[in-house]
Amino acid sequence: MKTYKDLPSDGGSDIVGQVTQQAIRLQKRLASVRHTVAIMSGKGGVGKSLMTANLASALGLRGHNVGVVDADINGPSIAKMMGVRSARINYDSDGVEPAVNPLGVKVMSMDLFLKNDETPVLWEAQTQKDAFTWRGAMEVTALREFLSDTEWGVLDYLFIDLPPGSDRLANLVDLLPTLGGIIVVTIPSGVSQLVVKKSLTMARKLPNIPVIGIIENMSAYICASCGETEDLFPNGDTEETAHQFNIPLLAKIPFDPRISIAADDGANFLEHNFETPVGKTIIEVGKKIETFFDNKTANMQRSDP
Amino acid sequence: MKFLCLECNTAMQFKEATKPDQGALTAIFECPDCFAEFAMHMNPWETQMLKSLNVQLGGRTEAAQPMQMVRSFLNEQAGETHPSDNIPQTTTNMTPEAEGGKCPFTSVVADAFQEPELTGPVWTPEALARLEHVPSFVRPMAKTSIEEFARENGHTNITSEVMDSARGNFGM
Repeated sequence: MKTYKDLPSDGGSDIVGQVTQQAIRLQKRLASVRHTVAIMSGKGGVGKSLMTANLASALGLRGHNVGVVDADINGPSIAKMMGVRSARINYDSDGVEPAVNPLGVKVMSMDLFLKNDETPVLWEAQTQKDAFTWRGAMEVTALREFLSDTEWGVLDYLFIDLPPGSDRLANLVDLLPTLGGIIVVTIPSGVSQLVVKKSLTMARKLPNIPVIGIIENMSAYICASCGETEDLFPNGDTEETAHQFNIPLLAKIPFDPRISIAADDGANFLEHNFETPVGKTIIEVGKKIETFFDNKTANMQRSDP
Repeated sequence: MKFLCLECNTAMQFKEATKPDQGALTAIFECPDCFAEFAMHMNPWETQMLKSLNVQLGGRTEAAQPMQMVRSFLNEQAGETHPSDNIPQTTTNMTPEAEGGKCPFTSVVADAFQEPELTGPVWTPEALARLEHVPSFVRPMAKTSIEEFARENGHTNITSEVMDSARGNFGM
């Protein structure tokens, strides 16, 4: 009896071939993107999307062409933070034009497709019972379409804002094996440190994808009246976590209510606050990302003359 | 998956698929040597998994449209789309009733299973050739609109004249 390998095809559907074509399309689309960066966390609510939006702005302000994909299909927030929720979605035969914020940052998010604040992303099916069996595949396909069907054009940096959970990174790398690097966001709480270690362990298992570094968000609170700095979460130790995993601690970013207000308003925080402690720190992280990729490119050129 | 005719030790070929029945799809395979057939019934979760991959049973005959899966989802939730977008509706050959409810992927399913036209006017070669001049991106929408116009006006064939009438009716 012939085995699976003996049979030349699956009977005419060529499912594997179709999936391969999808991967080729994605590869072609991102050929004009120099660097891809995934922003991840283990735990939700640590300000990962806020960091993504502001790092994109920081690099945009430094003259780079930047794009952001909101990979949080079910809880999209990037479009609001970047002030593009009212953008039109324009299709043509080759793809979809992304939303573009005043700084020129290109954005693609599920939020751009939804009618209002209350509309959930509910994948309809004959039955929602046992939807766990296929919901994940649906989300990955949506992310693949965001990456491969958005007309990004030439970009220096494409940030991919992942939803919470260490498994999401593995899904992304399945789609995008050439991912340029990973930034991990955490807060200094003991709980967040516990969860972020799982994400870092997962990230280190991925071959050839470096962790650019870890960002500690909400590291302290700066009093708007007196300027005094106080710890918000005294229990965690991000420096120790960074040391344990031998990755750079990119920044400790204090909490500033103005960054939260700007996100709610869809305004560019850095535009008017680049000289504040938080603004300066975010721009410094942007410079570190530039340096990371400059070094990476230089190393590649040295090893592949 | 690959299927083997045990009698002939020959790879079976995809023949056709049936319309989804309560979310369950059926694909029929045939042995090219002895012509024996068998049907593979997929339960709703397996069907949904297939849809989630956005692939076509029997092979893809034309490239997928941009954001095809997301758009299929949005088409079914027409009231849920962003008020300012201009998402063209992907078309299927099936009426909503025939599609069996609100499944958001009916267009994908219809494509996947290459559902034939249920009923409707027949395009003459001349009209089809003319349709080819419509930009590809809006062609499906134009085709559907003209077919609807023809049905509403009792035309069994879509000729160049019917296209002109439809165009006039659309105010173009």
